[in-house]
Amino acid sequence: MSSTASILLVGLGGAGCSMVARLAPSLPPQVRAVFLDSDLNALPNSVTGEYLQLGRSLTRGMGTGGESALGLAAVESEEPALRRLFTGVPIVVLVTGLGGGLGSGAAPALATIATEAGSTVLAFATIPFSHEGERRKRLASDALEKLSAKAHGLVVVQNDLLSLQVSADASLAEAFAAADDWVAGALRALASIFEAGALVPVDPAALRSILAQPGSPTLFTSGKAQGPQAALLAAKAATESALAHGPDVITKVASLFVHVAGGPSLSATDAFEAVNIIRAKFGGETTTIVGARIKPELGDGVEVAVIGASAPAPKAPKTRKTAKAGDPNQALFGFATEESLRRGIFGSAPFTFVDGVDIDVPTYIRRSIRLSPPK
Amino acid sequence: MTPKPLPSLITVIDIGTQKTVALVGQVIDGKARMLGFSERRTDGVVKGTVTDLDKLHAGVHEVINDLERVSQRPVHYVYLSIAGPAVDGERVKGFIPVPAHDGKVTKQDLDEAIRSAKRVEPPAGRLIMLYMRQPTLLDGKQVANPVGLQGRRLEVNFWRTTMEEGNVRFRVSMMNAMSVNVSEFILASHASGCAVVSESEKQGGVLVIDVGAGTTDWILYFKGHILCAGSIPVGGEHLTNDLSVALRISRETAEDLKIRFASALHRESDLNQTIWKDGDKSVGDQQFNRGTITQVSSLRYQEIIDFVRKDVLRHFEQIFPGHSVKLDQAFLPSGVVLTGGTANLQDAADGAQLVFGVTSRVGIPSFETDALRKPEYSGVIGMMVAAIQDAPPVLRRPKSLWDNVKELFRL
Repeated sequence: MSSTASILLVGLGGAGCSMVARLAPSLPPQVRAVFLDSDLNALPNSVTGEYLQLGRSLTRGMGTGGESALGLAAVESEEPALRRLFTGVPIVVLVTGLGGGLGSGAAPALATIATEAGSTVLAFATIPFSHEGERRKRLASDALEKLSAKAHGLVVVQNDLLSLQVSADASLAEAFAAADDWVAGALRALASIFEAGALVPVDPAALRSILAQPGSPTLFTSGKAQGPQAALLAAKAATESALAHGPDVITKVASLFVHVAGGPSLSATDAFEAVNIIRAKFGGETTTIVGARIKPELGDGVEVAVIGASAPAPKAPKTRKTAKAGDPNQALFGFATEESLRRGIFGSAPFTFVDGVDIDVPTYIRRSIRLSPPK
Repeated sequence: MTPKPLPSLITVIDIGTQKTVALVGQVIDGKARMLGFSERRTDGVVKGTVTDLDKLHAGVHEVINDLERVSQRPVHYVYLSIAGPAVDGERVKGFIPVPAHDGKVTKQDLDEAIRSAKRVEPPAGRLIMLYMRQPTLLDGKQVANPVGLQGRRLEVNFWRTTMEEGNVRFRVSMMNAMSVNVSEFILASHASGCAVVSESEKQGGVLVIDVGAGTTDWILYFKGHILCAGSIPVGGEHLTNDLSVALRISRETAEDLKIRFASALHRESDLNQTIWKDGDKSVGDQQFNRGTITQVSSLRYQEIIDFVRKDVLRHFEQIFPGHSVKLDQAFLPSGVVLTGGTANLQDAADGAQLVFGVTSRVGIPSFETDALRKPEYSGVIGMMVAAIQDAPPVLRRPKSLWDNVKELFRL
């Protein structure tokens, strides 16, 4: 084990391993890749890295068959080895596809072990496509809830959302490949942050400081652009990325970590302009940590990566579900605000201003006329 | 411009904020015989702006089905009304010096002046819908027909109505999707004017205000021509809204109370009246003070009328720059004529008179069928009148617009 590695990139389960495998050849020396799977045959054999087979005695070298209980048991059986693996590693990036047996069952347990070993855990989890069925979706959402409580940072990647980026008639295989590519690209951006030779170096501890508390909602997005004004365009691409527009993705965070990489022509002004765009979109009022580096191979291109987090919101008390989740006929209720009460039946209609006054508000209210009491 | 022979069947559709009303008539000797009528609730329009295309489309389709069923004839061409905030108007003028050979205006001179007026580009993103003839001036004097008269400077004026391109595109494609062509757009306020004021009233000067559910459209006729027209996105629904907010009642109850008890005027004596929501001694019936209702409704109604007054004056600043033209009885000998659904409000005419200070009346369209002799139908009946006239002051739609529309849809 190389002691210089400050980041451990862990691929868990079939989906996680295949994503990490894509990255493994291009990883900087500070990042070490580890593959965890129960199915020995599914482990990619072309890439170098450390392998750990989970639950050998339970699955006899096969998959978990989508049983999350089996996935959990597989991790528990290897706990001592895992604990050794995580000890002394400041940051663990856990990449997994939720919805399968190992990912859903083992990811929360793995995050717990890593946290207990003193690592900061940033989890990357993909949510299955909706066409993969209701069961996988449910497994994924259950696992997500557990994982978010254990990991310091959790980046959720909705495969459905990513599939919107590929053409409508793309095959299933293409859709999966596109989703994997996307996550791999995001992870590459994350890994490159810690490469040596940065213009503005970034200490892995900075990332730890942002992801200080487990359960904090996490934002991760990245963008690339080429040509003139590449820094601006890359920042825009990051703000508009599918990663930043999921249904549960937070868009305002207290702490922000922005990394800008560009070719030799990247100027400081451009880099800070990009940071300003990111800040305008996502906040970062408490802390904004900026990293920058020159990568000659980028030419006139610029890459922007953003990680953000807020302190965890107080947990809402669990409410009884009155309507079946996902029922398309379920009505949406909003709380009546003073404004919507004043506008009455025009509550949600577009405002109409005449001489700067919203004329949908009743005349007597606007003129503050007290309605006469009955005689 | 020679009027083309009228098709014998005319279908007009007036899509309002609350209701879509349509008429189909057969034209014999310049008069229409009604063959069918349809009225349905409009869905998907708020304050004159389309908010849900699918709902609107479905509703209009129903109306066309109704017409075809009742009249036993297929609908191929329709006249559509345009109104609301998407419609805007302005005055365009064109003038030429009359060539000096004998100082007499020729037909070519007039055509040249008209061409120069129509060369005025519309604002970006808007299409020209209609040109309406305004007074022709020869050396500053108004003349009915300048051809053959002596003068040095000929000026022609038009009231030009423009509409957002997307809005026109949407309307045409919505009708085309039902295999129906739009033969013409008619300015809704002008249609109402055609239904409720006479030619002699237009000669004198009259302001027609069509207070609909979501929008209030107005048009001012002066010396027989359209002087200006406008629209404000406030209407009867705002009265309903105010009542529902003030009395904390549902929209339906508010609508019902508005029809039965609201008024354009608030009288002290109203405070002595107590009214019941249902009045049938049923459980859950509610009691209200009539004074509250009339106070809320009169404030809103008079404000709407005042918005119109201010809007007219704003247009005057553009038309008569530097002059302060007063909207008084001398300028408007025939006063204000109120029409549209909200003109049914009690004391509507008196309320307008209070705001404008000129004689006001409620305009009811003259029509053979009793059921349609109501202010709310002046728009659709007037459209039929305007479609039959189809001659000045509503000129045929200029070719340039048709070309624009053709271009839009690559016909």
